[in-house]
Amino acid sequence: MSMSRRDFLKGAGTGAVVATAVGVDTAPVEGAARELKTKGAREVPSLCYYCAVGCGIVASVADGKVVAIQGDPEHPINRGALCSKAQAYIQVLDHPKRLTKVLYRPPGATEWQEKPLDWAMDQIAQRIKATRDATFRETEDGVTVNRAEGIAALGSAVITNEECYLLAKAMRGLGVVWLEHQARV
Amino acid sequence: MAKAILVDTSKCIGCRGCQVACKQWHGLEAEPTAFRGSYENPPDLSARTWRKVKFIETAKQDGATRWRFLSDACKHCTDASCLAVCPTGALFHRPWGAVDLDQEICNGCRYCVSACPFGVITFNERTGRVDKCILCPDRVEAGLAPACVTTCPTGALSFGDRDQLLGRAKERVVQLRAKGEKGAELYGERELSGLHVLYVLQERPQVYGLPEKPRFAAASVFPGFLMSAVASVVMGVVALVAFRERGGRGEE
Repeated sequence: MSMSRRDFLKGAGTGAVVATAVGVDTAPVEGAARELKTKGAREVPSLCYYCAVGCGIVASVADGKVVAIQGDPEHPINRGALCSKAQAYIQVLDHPKRLTKVLYRPPGATEWQEKPLDWAMDQIAQRIKATRDATFRETEDGVTVNRAEGIAALGSAVITNEECYLLAKAMRGLGVVWLEHQARV
Repeated sequence: MAKAILVDTSKCIGCRGCQVACKQWHGLEAEPTAFRGSYENPPDLSARTWRKVKFIETAKQDGATRWRFLSDACKHCTDASCLAVCPTGALFHRPWGAVDLDQEICNGCRYCVSACPFGVITFNERTGRVDKCILCPDRVEAGLAPACVTTCPTGALSFGDRDQLLGRAKERVVQLRAKGEKGAELYGERELSGLHVLYVLQERPQVYGLPEKPRFAAASVFPGFLMSAVASVVMGVVALVAFRERGGRGEE
């Protein structure tokens, strides 16, 4: 293909005219508004399960998905604040390693088995009863003690005062004296 | 009315709530990290970490070590170098002071990465664009504070009108000096015509990795601009020379 200087100038000139006519705007752009991702979301109050402080959180739920987790501004303990652990809470919800089924590993086995929840509940009840019966102590040095020495209870940071009361009540009913809390570790 | 974040380093306990709140609100991924002799993690700001708490160990007179914390992110300068060198207009000022970034327009040229005097902007290998703290315009324009400020448990981070925060910061500096913190000072009032993130520091800025006198980087871009002007003239002349008709040889 051959092109003369005249053709080159013609082409360049046409290009410049077109660019001017169509308009290449180099002025700074005006930023579009950014939509708040919690807009229209339902607010669900909950508790942080990590430590013994027991901060209140608010989960924003839109279309059945948690879109954000923030400190509860009305909670008397944290008043809207949260530390890094609670802020990372959201990744637990949909984590692929999160357990969603009951898993059971029998004594001596190397593999976990999937079991129905009712089966697990029955197992727990039966074993509590068996352990209690086997280790229950009525007296010590002639004093009535009535305690189940083979069982200990571990509470949770994520349960409320009322649930703590029920847990303690149930355990005391069995004669359990070792009542502990997960957040104290 | 200009808005700003005030970072009072004397109140920071290094919990990194701000760091993770930012990640959560903006949907940024976690970074796999390794222990490298400090609790500070990850090592640097990145496209996935827009705000992070620096852990700085300094020595006291008696030789004992002391921790200084700095919640570090974009400073949202008034004379923003990144914005000045951005060829596409992807970086722009919000009317209240934030330096926002429009991912749709960014072409990934990375001029801003080298222009930023604080080393805040980073290139995102996955998207081919840059990323940085944008001061939560979605939240601020809806009347909320940025995610990092909202979550701060100690009140080390606060958000509001810049003028009011400046007053508070100055009071705090006086208070700290009276308590024996001789090195207490305010950073960000006049730097680069005013930052929209103000710092109450307990030591000299360079201890925290902040430049004493940050420079407007567009100054060093001007020679480049001149060179491109010269280059375009040279290219035009070369083109004209290349197409010149040499005594009938063009007709063959």
